Amino acid sequence: MEQILATTLRSAAPLVLVAMAGVFAFRAGIFHLGLEGLMIAGAFATVAVGDTTGSVELGVLAAIGVCLLLSALYWWVIGPLGANVIIAGLGLTSIGLGGTAYALGAIFDVRGSLFTDVVLPRPVRNITEGAGVIVAEHSIFVWITPLIVLAAWVVLRRSRFGLRLAAVGEYPFAARSAGVNPSMVRLQAILIAGALCALGGAELSVGALRNFTENMTNGRGFIAFVAVIFGAWHPIGAAFAGLFFGFAEAIGIQSQINITERVPREFVLMIPFVLTIFAVWLGGLWRRRSLEAEAGYAELREPDF
Amino acid sequence: MTAPSGPAPAGVPAVRCRSLGVSFGAVRALHDVSLELAPGRIHALVGQNGAGKTTLAKVLGGLQVPDAGDVRIAGRDIPPGDVRAAKAAGLAMVHQHFSLPPSFTVAEALELTAARPGGRAVYRRGDLQRRWQEDVAEIGGTAALSTRIRDLPVEARQSLEIVRALATEARLLLLDEPTALLTPVAIDSLFERLRSLRDGGVTILVVLHKLREVAAVADTVSVLRDGELVLGPAEMSEVSQGRLSDAIVGPGGHADSAVGVRAAAHESTETLLELAGTSSSESAFEPGLTAVDLRVEAGEIVGIAGVEGNGQRSLVSVIAGLTPVTEGTVRIGGDEVTAAAPARRRLRGLRLVPFDRNAEGISRSAPLWLNQSALRLLGRRRGRSPLISLRQYKRQASEAMDLWRVRYDTATQPAESLSGGNVQRLILSRELADGVEVLVAAQPTRGLDFAATEFVRRSLRGLREAGAGVLLVSSDLDELFELSDRLLVMYGGRIVAEFDGPYDRRAVGDAMTGAVR
Repeated sequence: MEQILATTLRSAAPLVLVAMAGVFAFRAGIFHLGLEGLMIAGAFATVAVGDTTGSVELGVLAAIGVCLLLSALYWWVIGPLGANVIIAGLGLTSIGLGGTAYALGAIFDVRGSLFTDVVLPRPVRNITEGAGVIVAEHSIFVWITPLIVLAAWVVLRRSRFGLRLAAVGEYPFAARSAGVNPSMVRLQAILIAGALCALGGAELSVGALRNFTENMTNGRGFIAFVAVIFGAWHPIGAAFAGLFFGFAEAIGIQSQINITERVPREFVLMIPFVLTIFAVWLGGLWRRRSLEAEAGYAELREPDF
Repeated sequence: MTAPSGPAPAGVPAVRCRSLGVSFGAVRALHDVSLELAPGRIHALVGQNGAGKTTLAKVLGGLQVPDAGDVRIAGRDIPPGDVRAAKAAGLAMVHQHFSLPPSFTVAEALELTAARPGGRAVYRRGDLQRRWQEDVAEIGGTAALSTRIRDLPVEARQSLEIVRALATEARLLLLDEPTALLTPVAIDSLFERLRSLRDGGVTILVVLHKLREVAAVADTVSVLRDGELVLGPAEMSEVSQGRLSDAIVGPGGHADSAVGVRAAAHESTETLLELAGTSSSESAFEPGLTAVDLRVEAGEIVGIAGVEGNGQRSLVSVIAGLTPVTEGTVRIGGDEVTAAAPARRRLRGLRLVPFDRNAEGISRSAPLWLNQSALRLLGRRRGRSPLISLRQYKRQASEAMDLWRVRYDTATQPAESLSGGNVQRLILSRELADGVEVLVAAQPTRGLDFAATEFVRRSLRGLREAGAGVLLVSSDLDELFELSDRLLVMYGGRIVAEFDGPYDRRAVGDAMTGAVR
């Protein structure tokens, strides 16, 4: 049981970080499907720069830099160039997945996985029994994730910037008539999202593990996006949704260890996804009423001119 | 973003724009408009639907970049499309469409849009509410600061827009059709407020539709027609009513075509709409119906009067089939439809001009022709070819829209691209087209210029002559008195009084305030 909870926290941290990225984008009115690509780019940059320089700090900074650049590109394509947000997001994901696999071979001459010695600091170590196991061996990013969620809540729900962001996402006309430039606010939201994805990717590669593997995000960016929807694009809600999906993943991992002799491995691997679908369906039932209420106010949305 | 203190120096016009031009596709919204407004006065801007009033207001507010021309506010050049510069020069705007995000609370919306100095970057909900409490109370707003915008009735949203504009200590206030959604009492208090602002040195430009309102509040009047400034600004005392309406309509404009309303054939005393002991649950901001008995016979117009928010919306919604009935029955054309879907009621001959034309009257993103053809498509008989002729539907839609003088570019443009009054014309062109058994019309003339208003009133009378039934829900007593054969008064979700003409304004007014039970 302790093992499952510990694995839950470890699995949930990157999901929650990336879900916060999704919440920022969603509130600004952007269906950000590039989260997966940014996450894996962050994971790769951390390992690549971290391993080369021997400094995990430089690795994380490089990850943030790469993700900010990619995010700025994403903004440029969907904003000034007017590309479809969904298509551009999926394109960004493809660039991330394909680009990191290519760079792995081109720079390090490695196929599959790149192992490294650099690792994020782990504040609590060497506990092997009792409830302490739950909090032991987690990277510093797992510990600061709740703080980031709290900060996201303050910024989005209790700050002027958050009001501007929400206005841009919900009703750009309101933002424009308040003298806000929607395009700039979207850029800020996308950059914040990029930095958060970098942290999520870094946690995945040098927090929970010590390597970069091709396609190691394995759909986590999309699951984080689902957490955003499931959590009603509220930072706290999305964080709990991320925690839940982390739990589902932990169950999957643990049962993989324990029951693979009787149940085919593929079924066990399906568990988190089946739980996700179930949860989203359940969430949809709860939310249907309020979504209908929202739909009635479509009249208030003016096209963003 | 602070407003300059004190009135603009004497002699400097509050607004001066030169040779403004704006086009949307083939439609010329503004052409060579030059205008100077003297400070400290109330200027009215009038014109027909689509004459360019809203576009002009948007250009002045920096929300629309003009193709040509320039704008100065209080002597400062305003770069085209610069909302902040316009605000910094002291301009505040009350939009025709609401400008507050629906999911925001009242306090959040004010904090976002009013931008008063002194707020913190990070706030607590309670502090924010206290910060805006006074402004809302000042205008007599009863809305709780924690209410979400979407839960407010339209009047409260409208007054919030004004609170928002005034909170910035504007020197120049632009109001785009502020009276369209307000009750007569609310309009009086708005005008009172505008006068006291003017006496405090604020310059006001207000877009109005009704000449009576222009006469009541304006010092000067300007008229736009087909995007050109054809009159003014002229002193109200120097312009006769006749000259004003000529300027608005233009040469030959009075010869509006008669309405080709075709109703289904009827026996003369048939009951076309009947509610018997009908009740419904209350909605977010209105009481539900309580045991409402109501009959509309063939060939009569029944008026529903009442202070807005006394169940009129519930009534329309129940008849349309959008709100479930908890008790009693609804019959249309003799058939019970209490539990029937809206589409079945429409097929039975119900026609509807809803309260909220943008939300319930059109599909905003669908093309004009599809919006116009919706009822024809619904009424297609089964067994016919599953394919439809787009060309035929588009042609029919264009003809109907032309009859109603909807101003549009192409039939494929989305309905949301129409100006407010034109949306109403589009809805009327669909609902009054064919096979009307009973028409439920909620504020059918709201937002229409007076030529169109006359057109609608004639159409309603035409329907009556043709033997259809009309239920007219309105907050305009003059309109009700003019058209209704019988008048029912709603109060608190009940029908509390019934009058036959000629109507006694006093008695109806008493019933509306609940003095008669």
